[in-house]
Amino acid sequence: MKRTAFSIAASLLALAAATSAHAKDQPDITMAINQSPWLNSFVAMVDLYEEETGNVVDLDVNPFGGLLEKIRNSVRGAEGTYDLVNINSLWLSEIYSGGFLAPLGEVQEGYALHDGVLSYGATTKWDAAVGSFSPDGALMGVPVNGNVQVLYYNQVIYDELGLSVPDTWDDLYANAKKIAEAKGIYGFVPRAARDSIVYNITPYIFSHDAAFFRVTGPGQAAIGLNTTGGLAALKTYLKMSGEDVAPPNPGAIAQGELIQLLSTGKAAQAIAVIAAWGALENPNESRVVGQMSASLIPAGPGGTHASSAGHWVAGIPKNVSAERQRAALAFLDWFQSQALQVKYVEAGGVPVRGDLAETGLGTNNSYRFLGAYSANAANAVMGLPFAAAAEASDAMALHFNRAVIGEESPEVALNAAAEALAGILEQNGFTVTRQPDL
Amino acid sequence: MNTMIKPGVVIRRNKRWLVLSLAPVAVFFMVLSGFPVLNLLGLSFFDVEWREGAAEFNYIGLENYRRLFLEETIYWAGVRNTLVFAVTVVTCQMVLGFSMALAVKRAGSVGRTILTGIFLLPIVIPPIVIGTMWRLVMGREFGLANTLLRWFGLNEVDWLGNPDIALASVMFVDIWHWTPFVFLLMLAGLESLDEEVLDAARLDVTGFWQEVRHIVLPLMLPTILITVIFRVILSFKVFDEVYLLTSGGPGTATEVVNFSIYRTFFRQDQVGYGSAMSVVTLFAIALTIILARGVLARRRNAEDAG
Amino acid sequence: MTLRRTSGRVAANVLVWGYAGIILLPTLWVLSNAFKYKIDIITGATLSPVTWSNFEQLLFSRQSQFLWNLLNSAFVAVSSTAIVIVIATMAAFTLGRLRVPGWVRWPILGWALLFQMLPTLTFVGSWYVMWSAIGLHGTYVSVILTHVVHNLPMGLFLMLSFMFALPHEIFQAARMDGCSNSQMFWRVAFPLVRGGMIAATALIFIFSWSDFAIALTLTSPATMTAPVAIATFAQEYDIRYGEMAAGTLLSIVPALILILVGQRFIVRGLLAGAVK
Repeated sequence: MKRTAFSIAASLLALAAATSAHAKDQPDITMAINQSPWLNSFVAMVDLYEEETGNVVDLDVNPFGGLLEKIRNSVRGAEGTYDLVNINSLWLSEIYSGGFLAPLGEVQEGYALHDGVLSYGATTKWDAAVGSFSPDGALMGVPVNGNVQVLYYNQVIYDELGLSVPDTWDDLYANAKKIAEAKGIYGFVPRAARDSIVYNITPYIFSHDAAFFRVTGPGQAAIGLNTTGGLAALKTYLKMSGEDVAPPNPGAIAQGELIQLLSTGKAAQAIAVIAAWGALENPNESRVVGQMSASLIPAGPGGTHASSAGHWVAGIPKNVSAERQRAALAFLDWFQSQALQVKYVEAGGVPVRGDLAETGLGTNNSYRFLGAYSANAANAVMGLPFAAAAEASDAMALHFNRAVIGEESPEVALNAAAEALAGILEQNGFTVTRQPDL
Repeated sequence: MNTMIKPGVVIRRNKRWLVLSLAPVAVFFMVLSGFPVLNLLGLSFFDVEWREGAAEFNYIGLENYRRLFLEETIYWAGVRNTLVFAVTVVTCQMVLGFSMALAVKRAGSVGRTILTGIFLLPIVIPPIVIGTMWRLVMGREFGLANTLLRWFGLNEVDWLGNPDIALASVMFVDIWHWTPFVFLLMLAGLESLDEEVLDAARLDVTGFWQEVRHIVLPLMLPTILITVIFRVILSFKVFDEVYLLTSGGPGTATEVVNFSIYRTFFRQDQVGYGSAMSVVTLFAIALTIILARGVLARRRNAEDAG
Repeated sequence: MTLRRTSGRVAANVLVWGYAGIILLPTLWVLSNAFKYKIDIITGATLSPVTWSNFEQLLFSRQSQFLWNLLNSAFVAVSSTAIVIVIATMAAFTLGRLRVPGWVRWPILGWALLFQMLPTLTFVGSWYVMWSAIGLHGTYVSVILTHVVHNLPMGLFLMLSFMFALPHEIFQAARMDGCSNSQMFWRVAFPLVRGGMIAATALIFIFSWSDFAIALTLTSPATMTAPVAIATFAQEYDIRYGEMAAGTLLSIVPALILILVGQRFIVRGLLAGAVK
């Protein structure tokens, strides 16, 4: 049978044999990964690893929409197909809490991430007793693609209108208003479609010192959504989605539309993932090449900044042999060093370290996003840190989306979202402290 | 034909035919669909949790169904939309598909090949591409649809963002996509009609419409009925288009049952609850089919009486 | 009378070609994206520079093996369609035209309908478990046989409807002549339903050809089919319309050829076998 496992092995073994400084010392491993704009940069790293060490990492590349299913099938079986699985931040809690992954400290006694590697709101560690992410939990994986939301703005328009980078939500709104009036384009784009809004609204909620909920102890949760802070956050979100600054159909804008509006110059500001940077800088996809800048997402009234994590973490399943687990960890360990992360960025990847702005990259105009990336990554939160995150997200999304399209008042939407969330937390074994209705 | 074969031999051969012709179908169904279907039906009484890498099956009786009927909101919005969706798209597809089949059958042989090729195009495009590309066509700012409207000096329409229009837009795409299904079957049905029977019957009627109504339609009723049944089932299972066009929004304007099931069963990994939704949906489809059959049958009786 | 007929024909032509336009316009627009840069696609530019870069990406980039995916698709779809159509036609003849005890007839038809009505995506997990248990996951056998069972209900019911549409008298006459069941099938029913068979073959082929859910779960990189490959262009942060359109263009052509030409060969071949 034709072996086509998109086999870096085949094409590179010869090369590796010729150039490798080290002999191969690990068994071949297979990693489940998704096709994405950053895949090429990851492939470049894999190539480099194979060249340097002679070890082989096969990548099984799947559509984004099918990777979770492939991962579930593999990790739930008696014997897994994959030695490494690439997990989206949305799926982390499900995969961690299901007990499918080997904690890295068990693969290698006392293993810890390199200093300088970001944890995106402690999302590399899981505390099974609490049922949530926790800095005190067991280390479950290594981030392989850092991705957080940042504020994008069109520097050329800023300069033309004499605007400065906003520090608060009010500044952002004022800028948006000026742009809309002066240029006749959209001053700001929210990403408020049902499948996007919870992720997009997370920085608003947390910067207003509210939360969806907070874990207050083992199996204990306190709702923090239908509070004065939560209400102020949603009202800010609605203001940024208003017709005076935003497109008239915010309830239908998902990631694709948002990037389309920015890259065509139809909109000047948006809160979006740093992973969109490449598309905005690619002349085949963008009319604003060289014009965009990124910065810290604005702060709420209390001065708190927040961003939401959207990164990828590679984990090692339990159902593969110890030998292969060690081979997988060897690759992950190799991947984290600062020198290699610089190469990762140069190949077009989003790094997983927060200290690259201090390297030579920081002064290179092509990587001018790095400072904003590091600053936002330090504030990144995981909005729904428990096993049923997907369910809770879907339930709340409906109400937020309805508030945006005017079918529910902000108060009604928050109360309903909070109640739905509380119910799902209870179903998942939490004792829940509710807030009185707004 | 078969002179001199003993009746006993024929009977034995006939029995062997019965067994041999049905066995493959039965074996396929038993081996490859038995477990998935029974598993699904069974799961609807369970809550499944994964702990320590292993599944825990907790029997919870009718709890999933109780929750579905008493606490669920999105799914039921989906049921309402899906009923509207199914009735509308299937009706339009049947009328369009049948008309086009009639027209193509009367066209010359060259026109016929060209038209058949064109009419089939939408169903050979992968559904994921249909959804993605129509989203682009119906885009508010740059979409082809609005560009054409502006070209004719008309106001642009927010095809997918306006909750009042979004479902109609999705239905339009579905009609566009799946009319070829009906067209193909209707054309096959028309072509297999016996010309002699038609010629004989033509003596009794005058005009094209009379002929279609009193001769062609009744003769094609089995094909029409099966086509309607399958279109109803498939339109209840609509997923790719909705997922890629609107993801069920804005609000619940385009939520459909299969999307609810996908979210619950797959994305949220609530397989028990998702199974209960599938089972309830099964009854909704069965009911719709029974009603559709009733309408078709009544119409036929009325024709016969009139 | 002649005037009416002429005007009727004109109206019919306008209708048919108008509808053809509604089909063609968006299709051509979609396919034209295969030759455009993404910026021109998302801005809806009608006149734009032509590029082959989408095809280069699709065919020659390291992560892509699209021609191989197309071959996989063709192999899977042709095999599974052939199996479905043969066994469904035989069973439909027996169930629709012969005396079969009720306890055989209704369970088969009822199960087929039940199975068809439940959502496919709730089954794929079970299929994965079943095929993995016997070590066939990721092979052509697993995808082909699963496609067979998935499309069998439709094949069965479609062929049943065409069997029902045949005039009752023919079978009575054949029976009087002393035809056995198998002779009635091969000499009477089979030649008469071939129009229906052609249509059913086309539809089942299309369903197998464009299936995503089953193929995603049951294929390995070596057996991956074209729709799964095309889906990789709908990414989390970036929908690559150009490559997607290029992939669609390349997959439509063989599909249309196989449907318009291939099925006639299949049916004619079966027919030739029948007349012997």
